[in-house]
Amino acid sequence: MLELKNVKKSYDGTPVLTDISLNIEDGEIVSILGPSGCGKTTLLNMILGIVDADGGKIIFNGEDMTNVPMEKRGFNIVFQDYALFPNLNVYQNITYGLRNNPQISSKEEVEELISLLGLEEHLSKRIGQLSGGQKQRVALARTMVMKPKILLLDEPLSALDGVIKESIKDRIKTIAREYNLTTIIVTHDPEEALTLSNRVMIINEGKIAQFGKPEEIIKKPENGFVKKFILNQLEIKKNNIYTLFAGQLQEQAQVC
Amino acid sequence: MRKNREIKLIFALLAVFFAGFLAVPMISVLVKSFTGDGSSVSLSHYAEVLTGRGFLQALWNSILISVCSALITTVLAFILAYTIHYTNLGKRYKWLISKAAILPMLLPTITYGFAIIYSFGKQGLLTQLFGRQLFDIYGFNGLLLGYVVYTLPIAFTLINNAMGYIDKRFMIVSRLMGDSPLQTFRMTIVIPLLGTLATAFIQTFFLCFTDFGIPASVGGQFEVVASVLYTEMLGSVPNFGNGAVVALVMIIPSVVSITVLHILEKYNVRYNKISPIEIKKGVKRDVAFGALSAVILICTLCMFIVMFVVPFIEEWPYRMNFTFEHVQAVFEDRQLYGVYINSLMVAVLTALIGTLLSYGGALVTARSTVSGKLKKVIDSIALVTNTIPGMVIGLAYLFVFTGTPLQNTFPIIIVCNIVHFFSTPYLMMKNSLSKMNASWETTAMLMGDNWLKTIVRVVTPNALSTLLEVFSYYFVNAMVTVSAVIFIAGARTMVITTKIKELQYFNEFNEIFVLSLLILFTNLIARACFQKLAKMSKRSTAKVYHFAAKKAA
Repeated sequence: MLELKNVKKSYDGTPVLTDISLNIEDGEIVSILGPSGCGKTTLLNMILGIVDADGGKIIFNGEDMTNVPMEKRGFNIVFQDYALFPNLNVYQNITYGLRNNPQISSKEEVEELISLLGLEEHLSKRIGQLSGGQKQRVALARTMVMKPKILLLDEPLSALDGVIKESIKDRIKTIAREYNLTTIIVTHDPEEALTLSNRVMIINEGKIAQFGKPEEIIKKPENGFVKKFILNQLEIKKNNIYTLFAGQLQEQAQVC
Repeated sequence: MRKNREIKLIFALLAVFFAGFLAVPMISVLVKSFTGDGSSVSLSHYAEVLTGRGFLQALWNSILISVCSALITTVLAFILAYTIHYTNLGKRYKWLISKAAILPMLLPTITYGFAIIYSFGKQGLLTQLFGRQLFDIYGFNGLLLGYVVYTLPIAFTLINNAMGYIDKRFMIVSRLMGDSPLQTFRMTIVIPLLGTLATAFIQTFFLCFTDFGIPASVGGQFEVVASVLYTEMLGSVPNFGNGAVVALVMIIPSVVSITVLHILEKYNVRYNKISPIEIKKGVKRDVAFGALSAVILICTLCMFIVMFVVPFIEEWPYRMNFTFEHVQAVFEDRQLYGVYINSLMVAVLTALIGTLLSYGGALVTARSTVSGKLKKVIDSIALVTNTIPGMVIGLAYLFVFTGTPLQNTFPIIIVCNIVHFFSTPYLMMKNSLSKMNASWETTAMLMGDNWLKTIVRVVTPNALSTLLEVFSYYFVNAMVTVSAVIFIAGARTMVITTKIKELQYFNEFNEIFVLSLLILFTNLIARACFQKLAKMSKRSTAKVYHFAAKKAA
């Protein structure tokens, strides 16, 4: 279980995050949702350990991680633009961490990951030859080889187009389930957050606006911000889709 | 093709200009080298030069000293750039490093030698401070010091820029993957920079190999190719044919290095996004690199202190009283003051015409639809000007324009500078123009602008900051260059750098330093002004964008 207790951060006197407390259960997928500049990336970086908190505690499975350096925490991240090493090919990227810790994943485990993410045919390609979705999967595989205790994903879908988006969503869900892996996703897209995760944390101006299951957020928005910015957007999308499918829906209604 | 008429006109102008002032002179060097006594074709000059006493030694010396200097410079430049990009030192300190590192660029190389003599020589300022001479300045040591100081700004600029374009988030990935600090360093800094480091090495090698200013003053008995060339051409027994051969030998390493640079370009790692990260805390690292950078810069800059001291002292090192006498004397000496005005005029005109030419060239290659062949011609011209050392161009002009009305005139000096430095401004311009939205011309034409109007109303305002940078580049280089103009400046068309060479014969070091200071301050002021202007123009275009965006919203 990951626990944050009264975590704070400010840059040059401007508070970015004020008094954040939360619990995330093992194996849970949690999305951190909010507009740009709300502090969600800072929160992610703080959990990962790139950024130090100004106050408060980060506790993982009862152990205080607040002052543990990034590489000792055992968490890992996939960046928005994947940060794949351009001088190595796909397979070399995936197995990069094994050069340092050969015992961390067995050959079979690596192969399983490769087939789970459908990367068999790309292994000898250079990074420049891959599409966005393929890069995303390679980055996921590279991180998963390290067997992270928590997987952090920074805007994992924002650079991908339509159909690929849905397939990557499924892969993320599959991985979290298969490995019972706590997964934390940062995103600015309500649809993505609500359809991908077990629970969603909405952040606004450095504070948690609401933290709950997707259906709770839809049914009981706790404040004006959630209503106005999150639900409104989804409402518009819903109406657009309904208008598009109006003919079909009528047919269905008639059949019934 | 009516629509490309203007572009073709620009192309024709450029082609004629470079045919007359680059192709013809270079061919004449080639012809000269194969012409024996009389007018028959012969290899006698080659035989004479290559078997001549000392030439192969000078060639070997040149290669040896250039490799040593390039290696040292690249390492030092890397340390400076690393301090700026990978430590948590204060912003001001980093700013200071980046400014101090490029300071020597604003001085002619010929001054470096005299600064070394007056700092480390028997009566030198630093020799007196330390109580003994630190090393023998004439020959290898002096050259090495001079070359390193001369090329450090260029190597630093290259590496510093490239480091800015490395995505530092890879360091996080590498650490998360369990790399040791050394592995992280190799994987996320050295490997992405390999191309740039090689470029810096080759570029500095090339500069050392072709520089004339430093060996002219501290070369001593250590003959290098540049000094051989100078003696062949302007020594007591000039031999133009032999000079031509030496010049062609000088081109070989440049051609090789430019070719290698072209190949290396492909290996440069490009990141699509640069993300700022917080650098890992490391007090020991910060202190070590902060101190190391300070030592490097103090060592390189301390030899210039003497420039600020000697001219203000009655008679160094015997009568050590403060005086303005020498400075005053320079300004009262009509001839010396006139030389300064000459330099200023040459620099301004070089910058003005050079900027226009490189802008024209870049318009052809970056913003027109003329055939690829024409574009290739311009690109090749830029490449060739980059390959040919200044001394060789100067020599070629000496062959071609002696006896014509252009001999020893200002126009020929200006043209020489423009051709010599054409490559960098052209690439800067091209780079900036090709980044602009490709449909501007079409849009403007649909709104009723003709081509010229589009260029004036849309392209030029957006290219203004680059135009100013190019102008500043040409100006500073025209102020400090010596290698090419040494062959073509006449008695009435002296510029400061050639005057310094002349003053050397009479040991007039006070004048030399006062003139060098004049160059330094002129360049400092000019650069500051242009940077300010460029910033302002950037801001004003940004404002326009902002306004337009607001309107659109």
